[in-house]
Amino acid sequence: MSSFSGLNTALSSLIAQRQALDVAGQNIANANTVGYTRQRASLASIEALSSPSMFSAGLTTGNGTGVTGIARLGDIFLDARVRAETGSASFAATKADAYDRLESTIAEPGDLGVSDALQKFWAGWEDVGNNPGSGAFREVLLKNATALTQRISAGHAAVATQWGQTRTELTAAVVEVNSSAEMVANLNQSIRGVLVSGGSANELIDQRNLLITGLSALVGASAVERPDGTVDVLVGGNALVRGDRASSLEINANSLVMGSDVTVSWTGGAQLGAEAGAVVGMVNVLATATNGGVLTGVAASYDDLAKNLITTVNTQHGKAWTATGAPGGDFFRPAPTTAGSSAAATFAVAITDIAMIAVGKPGGGALDGSMGDDMAQLAKVTGGPDAQWTKFVADIGVRSRSATQSAAITEATRSNAEGLQMSNASVDVDEEAVNMLTYQRAYEGAARVLTAIDAMLDTLINRTGLVGR
Amino acid sequence: MIGRVTQQTTQRSTLANLQKNLAVMADLQNKLSGNTKISKPSDDPAGTASAMTLRAELRANTQASRNIDDGNGWLTTADTALSSSLDALRQARDLTVQGANSGALNPQAREALAVQLEGLRETLLSQANTTYQGRHVFAGTSDATGAVTIVKAIPAIPAAPPVAAVPGVAAVYTMNGTGDPVNRRVDANTLIRVDVDGAQAFGPIAGSDSVFATLDKIAQTLRSGGEVTNDLATLDVHRDAMITAQGGVGARQAQVLGAETRALATKTELTTQLASLEDVDLAASVVELQMQEVAYKAALGATARVLQPSLLDFLR
Repeated sequence: MSSFSGLNTALSSLIAQRQALDVAGQNIANANTVGYTRQRASLASIEALSSPSMFSAGLTTGNGTGVTGIARLGDIFLDARVRAETGSASFAATKADAYDRLESTIAEPGDLGVSDALQKFWAGWEDVGNNPGSGAFREVLLKNATALTQRISAGHAAVATQWGQTRTELTAAVVEVNSSAEMVANLNQSIRGVLVSGGSANELIDQRNLLITGLSALVGASAVERPDGTVDVLVGGNALVRGDRASSLEINANSLVMGSDVTVSWTGGAQLGAEAGAVVGMVNVLATATNGGVLTGVAASYDDLAKNLITTVNTQHGKAWTATGAPGGDFFRPAPTTAGSSAAATFAVAITDIAMIAVGKPGGGALDGSMGDDMAQLAKVTGGPDAQWTKFVADIGVRSRSATQSAAITEATRSNAEGLQMSNASVDVDEEAVNMLTYQRAYEGAARVLTAIDAMLDTLINRTGLVGR
Repeated sequence: MIGRVTQQTTQRSTLANLQKNLAVMADLQNKLSGNTKISKPSDDPAGTASAMTLRAELRANTQASRNIDDGNGWLTTADTALSSSLDALRQARDLTVQGANSGALNPQAREALAVQLEGLRETLLSQANTTYQGRHVFAGTSDATGAVTIVKAIPAIPAAPPVAAVPGVAAVYTMNGTGDPVNRRVDANTLIRVDVDGAQAFGPIAGSDSVFATLDKIAQTLRSGGEVTNDLATLDVHRDAMITAQGGVGARQAQVLGAETRALATKTELTTQLASLEDVDLAASVVELQMQEVAYKAALGATARVLQPSLLDFLR
């Protein structure tokens, strides 16, 4: 035990406290950085030298302190929970958002929806039936019919537009998944490099966690930590990122038109097995009607409504006679028969001449309008267009409501999980202030030790051996 | 460790709470300014379906009111025409009774009676051709130019001296009605006939001519110095037919007026139901908004306090 070893011990403390203070400074600097996890300098005392020699002195004190590492005070279980909840929350939010947009295009209940147009259309028939000889009422009927066809085809077009937008969003989301996966792989490589050389990769790990949470929101990714500091990102049980290698996703070709099958799969491989995340939500929204697709289902409902109107009205119109005694022709243009074409998109009035509107009963007088009333009564037919539309709107309402509720619930859970994660990982300025105080005091103490030893040595060196001088 | 509270968690939860408060306020404000509880189907899916059905019923009700007004017009017109026709027929009967008193009349008096009878026939013809909004109320669904077609031209009245008398050649009157009724729907399940079958009111009735032909015949007989007593019975048959027709019109008009009252009541009821379904309870919403505002202000005040102090304020 040398006389000067005490100086070294004090020095080690000075260095360690300063480093710890630096870490506190880093924490405070990042108090508001998104994704930052607080850090702490791990101090450890240095054990005394024990030389196995015969003449070594008996009891020795330790050799001061040292920073053994800078710990990142994250919690992988809380992180995992945030990822899981983020996946389901963004899945539910995607569906709720789709329903919300859908509802805004339906415009029911109110004076701007299809039901209003339907009612005006039927009322027009009643008026023409009451006044078969008046051209004005026939014109009004024709205008009302055109308004009805336009509302239905506009509704269909709005759904088609939403489908197209969602499809574009899906492309963007898949591109984001691929680039995020690539970035996670790169970060894995850097982190492994830093850790191997004994450095601290805490900031890189924070960045990587942010990216992985983003991937959870997109495809419901989960993460598995590996001993070398890298993280494997799994989607549906398959690895999106393994070490420093990233896989990629692709959307199947020929899927740019509403009604086509949209699937997301591993590039050149099997279909993606994910069950959460916005990408899956979007695929769900875009799916074909037979697979339960939200938008295509609604588009099909518009088609069914148009077909129902075409059949019902044309059949009734064919039974009636015009003023000149000719049977009524098609009132609405017949639905296209080619596969894949939409009845709602091409829905239009076939009649251009108001004299072709038939409201007379066969063999009745030229001013007979009794069939106009019969037509108007179709508004109340069970399973008729009005009942079909009302059922459709109520159905959308119910589904939208449940989608919104499930989105609210999953969002609350996610927010709770995130709150827990943050309460563990975020920086508390008060706590750091206290830490700073502690480190500062320790530093002052170490400096005082240094002064004490210095004074001691001064006594030894300068005041010793002066007896009798 | 889980109970740890930091500036960031405080800020987040505060923000989330403020957001929640604001969202409720925005929702209330939306309801109040739009004055509707159901702005989209998911607000109340069942209520949406009911509201849509109610709106459809309200629309049907409005249409029924229009039909009722129209039908009422038809029936009133027919009623007036039939009343005038009955008056004319009564005068014709009086004239015929005078004519039947054959011993006391000279040929000039008979001629005068005949001319008057022909004038009344014209009155009846014009009543039979009465129109409502361009439609002949006694012609059913026919689009002919009148309810009565006259095959032989008759000299205009007054044409002196009357030349109608070519014995044995009488004018032929044809009623143009097809017999098909003109109906109006006055409520969901009721169709009411609003026209009058011209043949029923003006003849020809089984076993006799039309009322016009009968009057022509009486005038003819008077001119030729014949006996018209027997024609009185025929006129009575015509009168009875007309009274029957008018009675029918009266009954149907009563039905239409009853439907009008019902339609009005239904409208009030439907509007009330729709309002209770769709419209905002203003008082409740305003109170709720006030309470929400207080909660929001409290949250804002708490935020201002909770984020202010820090340990750093107390270190020298």
